[in-house]
Amino acid sequence: MFGAATFHAAMAEIVVGCMVLASLCAIGCATGSIMPNFLGGRLSSDRMMLTMDKASIAGACLGLVFIPIAALSGSFAADNTVNNALLYNKFVYTGLAAGFWAGFVIGRVRLGPGLWEYRSLSALQGATAAMAILMTTMAASIGGKLVRGESLFDIMPIWLPADSATVLNPIVSIVMIVIGTGSLYAVLKLGPSTERIETD
Amino acid sequence: MHSRTAIVMTIAVLLAAGASVANPAGNGDANRDYTCGGSCHGDPALSTPSDGTVSVSVDSTAFTGTATAVHVTASGMSLSGNRLLGVFLLGSTDGNGDHPEDHGWSIVQDPNGGTHNYVEVIVPTSDSVTLTWVMLAPQATGPVNLFVATHHGSNPNSNNWAYSGLTRGYTIDVQPVPENLPGFAFDWKPETRITGDSSPTLIKTTNTTSVSVQWMLEGEWIPHDAVVTGEGDQWFAEIPATIGDTRLQYRVTTTNGEFSITQPWLTVATQPAPFDGDIWDARLQGFALSLLVIAFLLSLQARLSPWEGGPAADMTSEVEADSAPPEPLGLEPEQSEESDEYWSRLVPSEDNPGWLWDPVEQEWVADPENPPGGAE
Repeated sequence: MFGAATFHAAMAEIVVGCMVLASLCAIGCATGSIMPNFLGGRLSSDRMMLTMDKASIAGACLGLVFIPIAALSGSFAADNTVNNALLYNKFVYTGLAAGFWAGFVIGRVRLGPGLWEYRSLSALQGATAAMAILMTTMAASIGGKLVRGESLFDIMPIWLPADSATVLNPIVSIVMIVIGTGSLYAVLKLGPSTERIETD
Repeated sequence: MHSRTAIVMTIAVLLAAGASVANPAGNGDANRDYTCGGSCHGDPALSTPSDGTVSVSVDSTAFTGTATAVHVTASGMSLSGNRLLGVFLLGSTDGNGDHPEDHGWSIVQDPNGGTHNYVEVIVPTSDSVTLTWVMLAPQATGPVNLFVATHHGSNPNSNNWAYSGLTRGYTIDVQPVPENLPGFAFDWKPETRITGDSSPTLIKTTNTTSVSVQWMLEGEWIPHDAVVTGEGDQWFAEIPATIGDTRLQYRVTTTNGEFSITQPWLTVATQPAPFDGDIWDARLQGFALSLLVIAFLLSLQARLSPWEGGPAADMTSEVEADSAPPEPLGLEPEQSEESDEYWSRLVPSEDNPGWLWDPVEQEWVADPENPPGGAE
């Protein structure tokens, strides 16, 4: 047997590993699409784009599967209590990371592999992946801060707010959930249907 | 060239990770034995003697059960980037059973306001820090020793060494307390207050008929008198609330008809207010933000993607081109030779007025100069 903290660390490593792969490939696809001559055009070659596209969607799907497991194991590791702002923000950043990754995966599945042929969609997917990996690493770094008192972000110029938390009233959160659900319904059911873009 | 750069970068990342040490951010205040009971700081292969100076100031005589202040000044040591210093106050250096309480002492307050024998502090840029433990002397009489050990890092620290320092033993002769000497109750520990809390501070005493309390902010020179109420062995002192990073100190004078004892300065231990969120707040908020982000991203994707009726399906330009009026006479665009060749091969038919026969494509083409059905 091993502790919940150990299991959580293993799950978090899987999530971060998958998501790093996914985000690098997605950003590579976006770069190849927006700047076709980057790296002498090797990045935007059909073979490279296809490989990076598949790697990004595979990594994102795998990571997305493991995010709830990592979140639940982390919750158990913390004895299902939140007694400081760092831990609270870990949940919030985990939610944001899950949202960005889910948006990335749903977008790629709905729009198809040809989305990288549209510059605007490429830029959106690339930016989504970048935000998603930022939220993922932030959530992971908070874990390092809690356990070891240090994290990778200590030596990086970026540190998102984490030392103080904005605690929303549960009713506000429920209202936001209702708004989010309504928005999703409107986009998926009431809005114009998107066309799946296949590659030539 | 690129592969060489990649290899160099990979090695650099691996070396950067290797430069990390075990607990560079410390382990927090705690009750610990010497070298944490044999941790890496006690391993000669992983540690090296500290280059700092530690001096201890403590009365050589104490009365059983009375308060004694132990002042520890550490200076001149190398420090890691975060300037963290760990200081132990010990009753022995065996690696187990070293806590002063194992030797009869009772820690009333450590330098950080708690009751631990190991504390961590950030050393100011002056490279010197003084820490004070307030302890109640053992109930048993006789000589007892106190040791101080320090742990710190260094920057740079190419060997990844833990720096450890240990003082000689400072002997305190514990003598029987004079009968009826007023002082703190042996089981009393100062309360930890919440930031902003100004509720009275409880002080428990023995052999005391009256108590007076003075307080001052750290760095002040002139103390202020506090209002004290109570009787018997329980007293309440009205000490102002602490806010932010300010440290507030207070000194108790215990008096009875025979003696008046001024106790060592104590620090009002404060901690932040308890966090007011719980796990379900966090889960709900995370889930709500997740849904909003998904909805926002899907909206953007729908807006930017080709959709029925969207920009990609907008045929306005084609329709306008088809229905454009003919160019005025004399301003018609010149027809190419290819176009001339095409029109010249079309054959008019008397059976089908208004139509021309294309023998190459084998199809009828409307005659632009004599449209089928005439001009309507």
